[in-house]
Amino acid sequence: MTEESFESFKNSFSYGSRTDLNFKFLKSLSNEASAQFFQELLWKLGDALDDGNYDRLVEHVYEWQKQGYEGATQWAYDSGPFAKLQKPLSETKIGLLTSTGHFVEGDDPEPFGVVNMSQEEAIDRISEFVKAKPELSAIPMETPHEQLRARHGGYDIRGVEVDSNVALPLERLRELTSEGIIGELAANAYSFVGATSQMRLLKQAGPAWVELFQKEQIEAAILIPV
Amino acid sequence: MSVGHVARLLEDVGIATVIISAQAFRPRLEVMTLPRLLLTPHVMGRPVGAPHDQARQRETLLAALDLLETAQAAGTIVELGGSYRP
Repeated sequence: MTEESFESFKNSFSYGSRTDLNFKFLKSLSNEASAQFFQELLWKLGDALDDGNYDRLVEHVYEWQKQGYEGATQWAYDSGPFAKLQKPLSETKIGLLTSTGHFVEGDDPEPFGVVNMSQEEAIDRISEFVKAKPELSAIPMETPHEQLRARHGGYDIRGVEVDSNVALPLERLRELTSEGIIGELAANAYSFVGATSQMRLLKQAGPAWVELFQKEQIEAAILIPV
Repeated sequence: MSVGHVARLLEDVGIATVIISAQAFRPRLEVMTLPRLLLTPHVMGRPVGAPHDQARQRETLLAALDLLETAQAAGTIVELGGSYRP
């Protein structure tokens, strides 16, 4: 039996034998940095055995996720468009768009023609998703959590499965609207799988989505990436 | 990043946007000169807050809505204080 190297071990969390998308960032870290991550994690776990403070573990993961995502990107712009709100929020129609891969039960976008694709299959096929044109799912703002589904091979969906509001905050937005803080919600929220062809998003899907938002007279929008 | 592109497209036609993102994505988002960006000190996949932490989720959304109203130019970035507590 061939021994597994530490490098192979830490890389296995990123689309490998131990895939855990919370920790896929380990692949981008050096072996030394990854070893430090694990050493400190275990030390803090040891402390928690005595004082019950597990918050430091959450903090540890948070800090190292930030480290893991440092680095260059090709999508850099020196300037950007800016539109001011034309009316107070309390009179504004707000939309929501997330890249969380949400859809309503019974309205599966069936990526690549696959019926009931599992999250595991989405992870296995991530390389196909990042070349594909994104598909937008409409989610009525009144949809309860129990009718929501998420499938996205690029992030850990356990949080949204427990409470969709962690990234698709329909319930919270409904509350803010009923309180009058938001004037009106769009009829639908929208979601897509953010692991997608950026060029196809920019040139094909994006412009169509803008037309959709205009048609629905959405005046401002909250966008949430994962 | 994907929503960054969409935000820029929407702003081009006069639809104001605000992005709520976990801090981990800051390097990728800040270089896109996005209209409004709220960075949260939350673990990835839970940018609005921890499951069932309704108060925190509400706090995050209110901060984003405030940014919609108060930002004056593209490239406005606000970091939400506090922490992620499941």
